[in-house]
Amino acid sequence: MERETGSRREAVRQAAALWVVRLDDPSCSAADRAAFEAWRDDSHEHEAAYEREAAAWARLERLRALRPGVERPDRDLLAERRPSVARAPWARGMAAAAAIALVVAGTMTFDGGTAYATAIGERRVVVLSDNSRIELNTDSKVVVRYRKGVREVKLIKGEAVFEAAKDVRPFVIKAADAVMQADSSTEMAVRLRSDGAAVTVKRGAVDLDATPGEHKGERKDERKDDLRLTAGVTAIYSSAGSRSRAVSDSEIDRALAWRQGAIALNGQSLEQAVAEFNRYNRQQIRIADPSISGLRLAGYFQTTEPNSFVSAVTSAFPVRAAAGSDGAIRLSRRAVPEKIG
Amino acid sequence: MAQDDDDRRAWFRREILPLEPDLLAYARQFCRDGQTDPEDLVHETFARAIACKTWREIGNPGAFATRILRNCALDALRRRKVLTITAVADFDRIEPIDEAPTAQRVLESREELRLLADAIAELPTQCRRVFTLRKVYSLSPEDIAVRLGLSVSTVEKHLVKGLRYCSDKLGRRIGRKNKVDEGRSWSARRDHDAKR
Repeated sequence: MERETGSRREAVRQAAALWVVRLDDPSCSAADRAAFEAWRDDSHEHEAAYEREAAAWARLERLRALRPGVERPDRDLLAERRPSVARAPWARGMAAAAAIALVVAGTMTFDGGTAYATAIGERRVVVLSDNSRIELNTDSKVVVRYRKGVREVKLIKGEAVFEAAKDVRPFVIKAADAVMQADSSTEMAVRLRSDGAAVTVKRGAVDLDATPGEHKGERKDERKDDLRLTAGVTAIYSSAGSRSRAVSDSEIDRALAWRQGAIALNGQSLEQAVAEFNRYNRQQIRIADPSISGLRLAGYFQTTEPNSFVSAVTSAFPVRAAAGSDGAIRLSRRAVPEKIG
Repeated sequence: MAQDDDDRRAWFRREILPLEPDLLAYARQFCRDGQTDPEDLVHETFARAIACKTWREIGNPGAFATRILRNCALDALRRRKVLTITAVADFDRIEPIDEAPTAQRVLESREELRLLADAIAELPTQCRRVFTLRKVYSLSPEDIAVRLGLSVSTVEKHLVKGLRYCSDKLGRRIGRKNKVDEGRSWSARRDHDAKR
């Protein structure tokens, strides 16, 4: 769906960037320039994308100001220093503001793999060397290990969406006790919960518990059919076993509303909603009165706005909010004559 | 004719491109149900904006661009198979930007330099080296290829990767007024960014 338009956008931008690089090369030939003109004349989409990349390239000219007055070029001039210049105020602000950082991961794999993590309230998109994407939700961590013949990603904490790019190597995701192998072009979400790993397939298909090359012949086929999750299925997988059920597209979109910085509630209990908000914020909410925890809620909220959620709850229900001694927001029943259902 | 096209592109680069962070923030409001990618909306908005032959008559580029973006969002909504009630309701609630963003958002020069240097520092090692030799030391791709023992096409790939990373960084820079998702801690910067 939209991921396709996203990759199309990326393809156009990549092509535009390549033209920018080529045209700026002193050895660029007249034929190259003609080919570029033809490409640009193809569509306004190309034309606009070229302007975007060319403008960035031009702004990067400013980097020349960093050139020290020595003869020999230092190719590692801009490597991160310790103490690092990267901890500029804007960088901290980005993290604090839960902005999405796009990380282009290269082949920087050292022994244990490369780890990517997010803080509370942060989201992050990681694009791997093969163009597979990982989108990390709040307070999450993955370790990526691309070895010979297998692309392995382990979810250590939290929740992430994985989009496996086409490649001959299998794309294997590990989370708690689950080992999954995604078909290429699969888009799936995995969340670690107290009762195991919750896997939701949005697009494509995934084999649960697939151990490549271990099960041979019929037995493997049987297993595969048994534990194959297709688009529109969600499963909880724990050491005790797995259970799966079908989910609608809109249910999946609601579960993944965090990718837009939102929490989508559709009849969840106050208790579940509060637990959800507490994942994204240091400002915690507590239910002080168990009799209100079963209230049912619906609506869209910003993940980072627990206060607007609380005020929506207190204006819709006989619920009172107060600051607790620990700094948390305490929700309790407001004294009213009627009974709450 | 060719001159006219050049003028049109220069106008686009000067007036429309710098709006990207604002447009992205605006686009996010249309994408809360997760069905549309806000970056796609901005991408499409750019393509429609640069096509405008009557650009000379546009007095307020910010208002012009946000109007296009809204239309793109509407088109995306219409293309959808299933309209969810929340999507429609949310959509109706989005006001056009009251105070249209303007192009007064050129970062203070030292700040931009730092942003770019930080972006390069975040690149993978080999990519960063190639990029540094090209953009800081102005070596040609051929020279870089010889120096690092790479093919020219590998050098180009690294440069494309680095450029894509930086252009997205610049496009996603947190804007001056950005009350949508992640604006809060940035209000203090308004005065800074409001400088032309």
